[in-house]
Amino acid sequence: MTIKRTYEEINAKIKSGKVVIVTAEEIIPIVEEKGIKKATEEIDVVTTGTFGPMCSSGVILNFGHSDPPIRMQKIWLNDVEAYAGLAAVDVYLGATQLSERQGMEYGGAHVIEDLISGKKIKLKAISRGTDCYPRREIESYITKKSINQAILFNPRNGYQNYNVAVNTSERKIYTYMGILLPDLGNASYSTSGQLSPLLNDPEFTTIGIGTRIFLGGAQGYVVWEGTQFYPQVIKDENGKTIHKGGTLAVIGDLKEMSTDYIRAATFKGYGVTLVVGIGIPIPIINSEMMKSVAVKDEDIWTEIIDYGFPHLKKPSLGKVNYRQLRQGNITIRGKDVPVSPLSSYAKAREIAEKLKEEILRGKFLLQEPIQKFPQGSKFKPLLEIH
Amino acid sequence: MLSKKVIFTFSPQNVERPVTYQLIKDYNLWVNILQAKFEPSLGGKLVLELKGEDKQIKEGLNFVRKIGVGIELLEQEVIWDEKKCIDCGACISICPTGVLSLDKVTYKLKLDYEKCIVCGNCVEACPLQAIKVIF
Repeated sequence: MTIKRTYEEINAKIKSGKVVIVTAEEIIPIVEEKGIKKATEEIDVVTTGTFGPMCSSGVILNFGHSDPPIRMQKIWLNDVEAYAGLAAVDVYLGATQLSERQGMEYGGAHVIEDLISGKKIKLKAISRGTDCYPRREIESYITKKSINQAILFNPRNGYQNYNVAVNTSERKIYTYMGILLPDLGNASYSTSGQLSPLLNDPEFTTIGIGTRIFLGGAQGYVVWEGTQFYPQVIKDENGKTIHKGGTLAVIGDLKEMSTDYIRAATFKGYGVTLVVGIGIPIPIINSEMMKSVAVKDEDIWTEIIDYGFPHLKKPSLGKVNYRQLRQGNITIRGKDVPVSPLSSYAKAREIAEKLKEEILRGKFLLQEPIQKFPQGSKFKPLLEIH
Repeated sequence: MLSKKVIFTFSPQNVERPVTYQLIKDYNLWVNILQAKFEPSLGGKLVLELKGEDKQIKEGLNFVRKIGVGIELLEQEVIWDEKKCIDCGACISICPTGVLSLDKVTYKLKLDYEKCIVCGNCVEACPLQAIKVIF
């Protein structure tokens, strides 16, 4: 019989200190030993975690008004341009925007990290001036305490699954998947596998609009499906299943976040990105959910893709699972290839653990999605129409 | 048998001296060139690993010093800022000598400094700029 458990029942157990909760890693031996049915009966929540580069990230800032006031039309924070085309003093600073003076060494993600750590940020803005906003330029300093809002809003985070990147060309290439050495000299991948949020709920049964999450050390929310949301289940003749294409749009209060769980990064030759820590609790509402969260690295497959090919559709060199990847070497075309993860498994584990502690302390309640993600979405290319 | 890693700095005056040859022939040292950068008009730098008896290494280095070549001992050539490091592992696969690895239990980064040849690959691969190389 399928065991059913409601969100209300789980939250009541959290409040009374009786909730039973383990991480997505800890659940694996429990299910192996006790089976799905018994594990479902005993465990209420399983926590997941990921800590990796997520380029589609940024922060909404409101500085308050100066006297005389200015309607900012162009704005720079530590020489990194933010988008000012919203009202007078609201801006959106994207993580991948580069500094106009330091180039790839510093960018939007670094401003975000500096804001979180409480550092002073130099603000410069210009305007044409209007009757109601007469000022034409301003230079000042801000901190997270001096401004009204700092809201992290990331349109595409938490990629469900991602390619393994390799390079068959004769040239060393610099990519968002790190440095790829020529002639299959190395490989890189970027998922926390069995700990990854969207690989533990691949059908989006409990993760949807409104889901409360751990975001950069604070509590945040899933606000929409992520951009380019295109979940696919690919099964091959050998029974290898690849879940991929799910993404999340997330939001949270940057002022509450910690640089332990959100960091700026520079990929040489590619640019700046934000390393975001996300943890999502999965309520065990029935035995189907327990089956989902019991997924192991060896059952999660992904494709090896040749980034040496400079076009959108890149050739596949086969499939590999996360257990093989995590061991540090894989075999491609008979060659032994060393592997680098780009997302930190140690940090993903720490996030799942921290989320577990917060729930156990009664500080974090589970929120049922108020709306599910759409089904049957498409992944459209940009066509060049003349 | 001792092993030492050294950096020799050459000036335009001594850049043409066959130091490596003399260390091998006259001082019976095992010499492994880890890095070399020379511009005859300006001078150059040579990173070597030397192996031999304590006395021979000392005498060999004295000879190098006498001909005016600068000597620095490489005690720890890679500087890893553990506080900055997020233990992702981006550096692991580009290291030619297997210095870097993730611990199989904790998945935290560990370094085997003994194997390092100061190539600098890890420095450019680290997205958090947590690794520096002294050269």
